[in-house]
Amino acid sequence: MTALVEVQAPATTPTYVPRGALHSLVRKPMGAIGIAMLLVALAVAVLAPFIAPFDPYKSVNVTIFDIYQAPSAMHLLGTDDRGKDVLSALIHGSRVSLIVGFSAASIALLIGGVVGIVAGYRGGWVGAGLMRFTDFFLVIPDLALQIVIIAIAGPSLLNIILVIGALGWTTTARLVRSQTLSVRERKFVMRARAIGAGDLHILRRHILPQVLPLMLANMVLVISLAILEESTLAFLGLGDPTLISWGQMLNFAFERSAVSAGAWWALIPPGLAIVWVVLGTTLLGTALEDVLNPRLKRHHLERERVGPQRLLPGSRVRDRAATPAGTRDPLPVSIPRQGSNVPLLSVRDLAVEFDSPTGPLRAVDGVSFDLRRGETMGLVGESGSGKTTTVLAMLRLLPPGGRVVGGQVLFDGEDLLALPPAELRAVRWSRLSIVFQGAMNALNPVRTVGDQVAEAIRTHQPGIGRRAAAARAGELLERVGIPGRRARDYPHTYSGGMRQRAMIALALACDPDVIIADEPTTALDVMIQAQILELLARLSNELGMATIMVTHDLGVVGQRCDRVVVMYGGIVAEEAEAYRLYAHPQHPYTQALLASFPDLSHPDRKLVGIAGVPPRLDNMPPGCPFAPRCPHVFDRCLVERPPAFPLSHERRASCFLVEPGHEQPVAPPPGIAPAVSEPADA
Amino acid sequence: MQGRGRYLASKIGWAVVTLFVVITFNFFLFRILPGDPSRSLIRDPRVNPEARDALVRRFGLDKPVFLNLEGGNPFDSQYFAYLSALSRGDLGQSFAKRDQSVAQLLGQSLGNTLLLILPAQVLAILVGIALGLLAAWRRGTSIDVSALMFSLFMWSLPTFFLAILLLFAGSQWFDLPTAGRVTIGASYASWWDGVYDLGKHLLLPTISFTLVLLGEYMLIMRSSVIDVLSEDYILTAKAKGLTTWRIIRDHAVKNAMLPMVTLIALNLGFTVSGAIQVESVFSYPGLGYRTVEAVGNRDFPVLQGAFLLLAVCVVIANLAAELVYGWIDPRVTEG
Repeated sequence: MTALVEVQAPATTPTYVPRGALHSLVRKPMGAIGIAMLLVALAVAVLAPFIAPFDPYKSVNVTIFDIYQAPSAMHLLGTDDRGKDVLSALIHGSRVSLIVGFSAASIALLIGGVVGIVAGYRGGWVGAGLMRFTDFFLVIPDLALQIVIIAIAGPSLLNIILVIGALGWTTTARLVRSQTLSVRERKFVMRARAIGAGDLHILRRHILPQVLPLMLANMVLVISLAILEESTLAFLGLGDPTLISWGQMLNFAFERSAVSAGAWWALIPPGLAIVWVVLGTTLLGTALEDVLNPRLKRHHLERERVGPQRLLPGSRVRDRAATPAGTRDPLPVSIPRQGSNVPLLSVRDLAVEFDSPTGPLRAVDGVSFDLRRGETMGLVGESGSGKTTTVLAMLRLLPPGGRVVGGQVLFDGEDLLALPPAELRAVRWSRLSIVFQGAMNALNPVRTVGDQVAEAIRTHQPGIGRRAAAARAGELLERVGIPGRRARDYPHTYSGGMRQRAMIALALACDPDVIIADEPTTALDVMIQAQILELLARLSNELGMATIMVTHDLGVVGQRCDRVVVMYGGIVAEEAEAYRLYAHPQHPYTQALLASFPDLSHPDRKLVGIAGVPPRLDNMPPGCPFAPRCPHVFDRCLVERPPAFPLSHERRASCFLVEPGHEQPVAPPPGIAPAVSEPADA
Repeated sequence: MQGRGRYLASKIGWAVVTLFVVITFNFFLFRILPGDPSRSLIRDPRVNPEARDALVRRFGLDKPVFLNLEGGNPFDSQYFAYLSALSRGDLGQSFAKRDQSVAQLLGQSLGNTLLLILPAQVLAILVGIALGLLAAWRRGTSIDVSALMFSLFMWSLPTFFLAILLLFAGSQWFDLPTAGRVTIGASYASWWDGVYDLGKHLLLPTISFTLVLLGEYMLIMRSSVIDVLSEDYILTAKAKGLTTWRIIRDHAVKNAMLPMVTLIALNLGFTVSGAIQVESVFSYPGLGYRTVEAVGNRDFPVLQGAFLLLAVCVVIANLAAELVYGWIDPRVTEG
């Protein structure tokens, strides 16, 4: 969802190496433990001849009484099937494990890296052929093939390393190929190619730096696999007979009845030694992958969190949150309640925060507005202004990491933010439904469209039969202009416009009182956009539903909305009836926004962009959020947050310029044609 | 359903090509590696002349390896002799067990292996899915962290070592049998007693095998479910007023199963490796045990046959997984 993307980096960007990767690796407990475990193993392997109490390679005369001796002061881990010291063999065995692990993984990485880069960079039939080749190796059972080859070629250390390395490259190849593919399409590579850089140069300067870190993380996992495979081969009797390894110790002990002799000391220590090294590498590899390729860690079914969070000392929002939500905007209601026209939905002083590594960030800060029955309201703002977050918060559907920290959402007299879960579920969709933006992902790809519409009906009308719900779903689809038979098709067979229509049918399923359309026309072409908006307007009119139109498109608002709420930087900048807003924008932001938007009735007017960029959540100005870009800014704007000042004609604006008693008249910034005449109906 | 037909055809076609490559690979593997078994056998002074002649005739060792380019029938070669024998289901004669053909020996072993693998697979998949789902849903809680730690530990534990530990515990404390499929020489009073004896022998190998697969499946399911639960359609389902349980049951499980099926297919090699190790530790007469036994006996026809059979099983199981995938994901087979 947008709200999430606004706060976190999009999850789809190709992997890059963050600065200080090593530092964050050590800070992860998994990474630190893994490194420590490996260092111990490495130290033991290097120092083996010095720390082992006996030389396990030296042959000694043993009697039957020396075999499988229990641990004692002389033999701390007892003796094995040949009467030798288990501890010494264990210490020397670390060498084979680490040598095979590192050398085999290097071979695997070299092959996999070359295959992956060539397949990813060249593409075409070379790439396709290489991937088919890789696929073939994926279906060959590794261990069985290793056994066959070692059985025929002989179990020398070199053969074991070669076989494990030559069969262990497939996962690396697939990983490297997909990374190369994604890097190849990126701008800096395209640019380098456009100015005539050779393949070798691009590979060395652009592709390799992006691929190598990923290979490093992969190498750690390949090492752990190689160590496991070496020990397995040795256990099956295919280890190098001239060397002592942990798998071979287990092989001898197991074959020579350590189990029936109860000689656990000959079995458990070598097994645990393998676990130690493999677990160490696995922990390190998992932590490395986490650092290099952080995955989206949160999902929609995590426990909902409400209420303010204890602020971390020094966090950026502290100054702003010092005034508790609710005190800044004491009279948020600007719309008088006229007789029976009590608002259906009242949002009061809503505040939302998102988690971030530096502490909570305020995305919505004291937003208030009302919605009357049957009314169409526009909620306008640039991306990042908090409009989508506001509507998601109203139904407690905030993406993970977000929480409502203050305010009320009164729907028909009840505060949705305080409802118990079961009652909230009953309100969702049956009374308040949402047309999500990007219907592409808002419908479940493995269920038919009709099924997903029928599901909503059956959820809120438990008595209705399966067949009746399906029939109703068909009718709803017909109503939005989709042939009823298409109900049995899956979302991927629909065009973008059809999917958005289906989303509207879904939103209508339970005859809600309010439909929230969250940028319903993003990513559709202009003709389809117009059709969808027309459809929404017609249906909400026919069915008498109130609509909240969330959009950044002022044209949509002007045509379709009765009233407009303009958001900027998490607050309501201005609220007015649509035509008044267009005619007399009061807030400098609204003025600038209108000046930047083409107006067909004044085609000769110059379009003026707004200087600067919208504020980032982690760098909100302490005063008015628009102050850094405002042409009329003065001292007070920089330090004090302007409250919403009620104006005539049921409107309000959060700007000190309109404060009663402020001496300066509002002057539109240069470039805006002064709106001299009220619209025709005024 | 034209799309579905094309999908089926392409998957089956690819499986057939792979099978053919596996068969050819299996032939040359035993001919080109240093220490080539058939040649070293006929050079072995212990083999008497008649037996040597029989071997030469049997493997066609007097013929060219791949194609006969010296005139006559170009297909009169060792490779085509091998293909023709294979098409008759003839995998040769065991060196070590003179009275048995390789096909007969391995046929029984394959049955035994499936008896061990299938219940363990099903159990591991079901439990793995349930635990993975739980861990993903409760992501970040102590349930999730312990599940994750368990998986990483199981991954680091060599299969054969886990099997040895279970065998140790089972034989010392529970008096369970440690080897074979049934008690040798036993005669059963009833049909039920036979099944009971078999079950007692299968218990420990099945547990080892399930545990080995479980950690892996749980880890895959966990990350797959986390991915699915962060999708937009889960938010839609939530906005529709569905309960958490219904969102998981009707919107998350099937979608999360898609990567699961692919990864189970990719992990079949891992399953074979597990079977070889578990069967070796428990001396269970399946394909894996026969493979290791054949190495010890230098019984190359059995080794070649066992490898072929294992590879063929993986190709077929892989195909099955692709077909299941096509069945549960409408996007692959339509449009």
